[in-house]
Amino acid sequence: MIFTLRIRLTVAAIVFVSVLLQLSFFSQMPLLGSVANLVPVVIVALGLLGGPLPGVIAAFFAGLLLDSALGTTLGVSSLALMSAGYLAGRWREGYDIVSSLVPPLLTGLLTAVSAAAYAAMQLMLGVDAPVSLLVLREIVVQGLLGVLLAIPVFPLIRRLLRPALVDDPLARRARASRTVLGVTS
Amino acid sequence: MYRKQIRRRRATLVLLVVACLVLISSHFSESESGPLHTAQNGVGSALAPLQEAASRALKPARDLVNWVDETFDARGENEQLRAEVQELRADLTKAEEELSEGTERGEIAAIAETGTLAGYEFVDARVTGRSASTWDQVMTIDKGRSAGVAVNDPVITGDGLVGRVSSVSGGSARVALLTDQTTEVTAKVLGGGPVGIVGAEVGDPDDLVLELIRGDDEVKPGAELITAGIEDPDLTSLFPVGIPIGEAEQSTTGEQELRQQIHITPYADMSNIQFVSVLTGGGS
Repeated sequence: MIFTLRIRLTVAAIVFVSVLLQLSFFSQMPLLGSVANLVPVVIVALGLLGGPLPGVIAAFFAGLLLDSALGTTLGVSSLALMSAGYLAGRWREGYDIVSSLVPPLLTGLLTAVSAAAYAAMQLMLGVDAPVSLLVLREIVVQGLLGVLLAIPVFPLIRRLLRPALVDDPLARRARASRTVLGVTS
Repeated sequence: MYRKQIRRRRATLVLLVVACLVLISSHFSESESGPLHTAQNGVGSALAPLQEAASRALKPARDLVNWVDETFDARGENEQLRAEVQELRADLTKAEEELSEGTERGEIAAIAETGTLAGYEFVDARVTGRSASTWDQVMTIDKGRSAGVAVNDPVITGDGLVGRVSSVSGGSARVALLTDQTTEVTAKVLGGGPVGIVGAEVGDPDDLVLELIRGDDEVKPGAELITAGIEDPDLTSLFPVGIPIGEAEQSTTGEQELRQQIHITPYADMSNIQFVSVLTGGGS
């Protein structure tokens, strides 16, 4: 990804709007015993499109914003989201996105990883109350809802960042499918 | 060139991880008035108007999704509710008998006489934001210090107690719900039952746990719990006596526990709160 000032501002706006939407919209709509979590979905999309560094930096600031808005321990959300952003970026470096199913499935998996990392950090920091096994349900449900959210969110973010993308594998495949024997139809 | 990129990336990653660890440890060790907390409250205050605007703008969409979700839930609950109606009819008959004997009447009259909420002012507020994680059951509201809201003020809905104000700024406040691990409230079983402390069970928004501290009477399923307040004249209770909390579901006594634990279903729907009232003034 080529990071011009305009693209940096676009990424910052995407992160900010996703945090705002999470707090004011998604967190207030209970679904299947949990809520959809938009922020890791956006972070994974940024990691998949931009690589580990943009993913991790966006995750750090998104986590800080979340913790600041809610008054929770600073740094915990950032660390959890950074795990998802970094792994998404590493995936991009190692593998091609060979199917349109890959981003949603990977997003679901990494959203669950992020929720599990958050839970692990809370346990390590100490919990002053009994813990229900339903925390596992939250990890699974947020992963599943992450798959559904990624279906519209990933293409939307790719569209917003298209001018900065050096090589968009899905666009390349689409171009290839339109080309027959070297002649573009 | 490529190696330089890799080194730069690793350095940034390490720097950010270290920054997170420093933030976590500093946040834990400093007081509420420390620089990190102050900066955090500043960012929170700056975000509050935007959250409020977003919350208002998105309310129709949120209501639509909630309506669809509740419709599906309602279909599933139909059979269960029919059974409950039958049970409640039986309970109602029993309660009416007890009322005529004056047993419940005495308790309710006592609560009214203590003037439980008489000295408090009700500040109505809109929920503008909420945590996505069950580990932090925290929400933000659009009323703050300028409306008279103070830290530790009780927060209620029409159904009962939902939590307390955990921090406050000029135009907004954060509320730690009853289902948050940091919130505990002294409660008593209506009808002269035992007294205990109600706390959260992390991960389950429909379950609270009452640990008994006084009285060994068995708490039967269906028993109603209200805030107990503190009866000592030298101490001021955070929560006034008589606010409904929830209903006892089942009691358990684990092998390592000396006293029974009672699981409580809160009256308020903790996962779907749109508006709340903050009890300000501390009963003075």
